[in-house]
Amino acid sequence: MIDFAIPELDRLLIETVRKFITNEVQPLEPEVEERGELPEAKMRALRQQAQALGLFAMNMPAEVGGGGLSTVETCLVEEELGKTSDALIRRIFGQVYPMLMACRDAQIERYLLPTVRGDRICAIAITEPDAGSDAAAIRTAATFDDGAWVLNGRKHFISDGDVADYVIVMAVTDRDKRTRGGITLFLVDKGTPGFTVARRQPMMGHRGYGHAELVFEDCRVSPDCILGEPGEGFRLMMQSVSAVRLAHIGARSVGMAQRVLDLMRRHANERVQFGQPIGSFQFVQQMIADSAIEITAARLMVLNAAWTIDQGQDARDKVSIVKVFASEMLGKVADRGVQVFGGSGYSKDLPLERIYRDARVTRIYDGTSEIHRMLIARSVLRDGLRL
Amino acid sequence: MKVLVAVKRVVDYNVKIRVKADKTGVETANVKFSMNPFDEIAVEQAVRLKEAGTATEVVVVSIGPAQAQETIRTALAMGADRGIHVQTDAEVQPLAVAKLLKAIVANENPTLVIVGKQAIDDDCSQTGQMLAALLGWSQGTFASKVDLKDGTVAVTREVDGGLETVDLKLPAIVTTDLRLNEPRYASLPNIMKAKKKPIDATTAEALGVDIASRLITLKVEEPAKRQGGKKVGSIAELVDKLKNEARVI
Ligand SMILES: Cc1cc2nc3c(=O)[nH]c(=O)nc-3n(C[C@H](O)[C@H](O)[C@H](O)COP(=O)(O)OP(=O)(O)OC[C@H]3O[C@@H](n4cnc5c(N)ncnc54)[C@H](O)[C@@H]3O)c2cc1C
Repeated sequence: MIDFAIPELDRLLIETVRKFITNEVQPLEPEVEERGELPEAKMRALRQQAQALGLFAMNMPAEVGGGGLSTVETCLVEEELGKTSDALIRRIFGQVYPMLMACRDAQIERYLLPTVRGDRICAIAITEPDAGSDAAAIRTAATFDDGAWVLNGRKHFISDGDVADYVIVMAVTDRDKRTRGGITLFLVDKGTPGFTVARRQPMMGHRGYGHAELVFEDCRVSPDCILGEPGEGFRLMMQSVSAVRLAHIGARSVGMAQRVLDLMRRHANERVQFGQPIGSFQFVQQMIADSAIEITAARLMVLNAAWTIDQGQDARDKVSIVKVFASEMLGKVADRGVQVFGGSGYSKDLPLERIYRDARVTRIYDGTSEIHRMLIARSVLRDGLRL
Repeated sequence: MKVLVAVKRVVDYNVKIRVKADKTGVETANVKFSMNPFDEIAVEQAVRLKEAGTATEVVVVSIGPAQAQETIRTALAMGADRGIHVQTDAEVQPLAVAKLLKAIVANENPTLVIVGKQAIDDDCSQTGQMLAALLGWSQGTFASKVDLKDGTVAVTREVDGGLETVDLKLPAIVTTDLRLNEPRYASLPNIMKAKKKPIDATTAEALGVDIASRLITLKVEEPAKRQGGKKVGSIAELVDKLKNEARVI
């Protein structure tokens, strides 16, 4: 028998996260949206409150101070987190990449543990002005010189790149080998000579945290700044982003879409035009029905992919499928949300217009819809669909 | 000092209540249940007493179907030490609950029993009072403040005229009002710990209590739909309408 029931203790955790998001976090959204910045003192207090409740870095193993949640549990929790904005989630619950488990020796004390504790912020720098979807085409290079690696190149659109205490930088160490042993990840501290934040790049949405252009000019780092094995950076990155992608885009989209649908249905029941609630009009009903159908589908897809990861099986195709479906589902649901609210949906008095803008990027970052479709198609052409 | 807290699994306060088509009760299929909010306050108070070193153990009881275990588990995740589940699928009215609690009190010997002032499903507000009567213990109902001293407890009660403070001899029953405290969120480490805390299962028969209903529900109906209000032009018109239309003065 397949058991779709969510275990009791997970439900308790979900309930705690849900209450915390509704009571403590959502009320801050308008201020963040208006100022474009997070209220620092409040953020610190809320992060401490989340930490006291064990809600920080929940996806990381318990041995390193994380919550020790499985991928399924992480996704269930991320669904609740998705009901607020990414900026707030990052600062209150932490954005801690499982890739950091590759830290060794002194790196553990210096990067892994303080990040799980919330003392240090990490950014990941892959994308460059000339290498986006084609990440293997990055030009940032590291050459070995006199006992140090010397980094040269430029990264852009790096989330939290402006505030990060350190950045995981993907660089070419062997031009001939490239993705087959020639790309390496470096842990580079803020303030390292030769590493500068060139500028913040304002975005359509996701207000409250920065996206930055980073420049490396003869930036020298010691050999023990390599994360994982030299030359294995591409593989390490691709392996470990799956679970993050699933949680941050798949599960959060499902949560955000639920919030939109909930607003929609309330409004459809209450708003009266032509003497009846607008929910009695079939055009409005269709928007609600289609949203409910797509959210349900996306949610089951997320949980199934998460379960696959927890079984230790290769879930890359499933995660690509979720990435495309969930992000596009959120786009459609957010659009319908605005429509059902009419002019109020377009106004800044409600969170819908923000959600509409924030949702747009989920089809772009972490691999565009086109790239994931391409990967899915290749895999299906080669091996057929493996469910 | 041992504290006993009773918790009830009720339809969540966010759920829009619907009456069943056959008018035998309210719809409970496919609706969200959670701990009665006043009971959450009771658990919080007990856990605070434990944290303050006043209480040594917090025992939580719930009477109800198998799923009531979940309500107990919630209380354990908030910090209670162990649970007792009196399993029954029958409707259990306040007098039956009070009798069951009395039997559990006899086994457990708590110094203080804290219960919600009422459950938000039937709004009876009777269990605490009935239990006090059955045990012959003192009671402090609708508590907005609870102050434990040596052998007594001072309970500030929310009464119609304001606040009233009563000193009760222990053992005693306290029923909680909304302003007593703000219940905590269950933390992830405590949720994990709750997994290992014991819940003992028992039944009304094992406790030797007859829980047969003494009251029969004839019919459950939706309240009358609210009519739109009317604006009046003057005080004189208002008085006239109250007198002659509404006939309330
Ligand atoms: C808000 C935000 C935050 C980001 N955060 C980070 C971060 O923290 N770290 C980081 O490294 N990067 C980050 N990025 C970068 C992001 O990952 C890239 O923008 C994304 O991978 C797309 O690359 P690109 O912008 O260069 O677009 P391009 O690759 O130039 O794509 C342009 C268009 O061409 C299409 N296209 C490209 N190749 C193909 C193909 N083979 N077949 C079909 N269509 C194709 C794309 O789908 C797209 O529609 C962020 C971006 C944004 C907007």
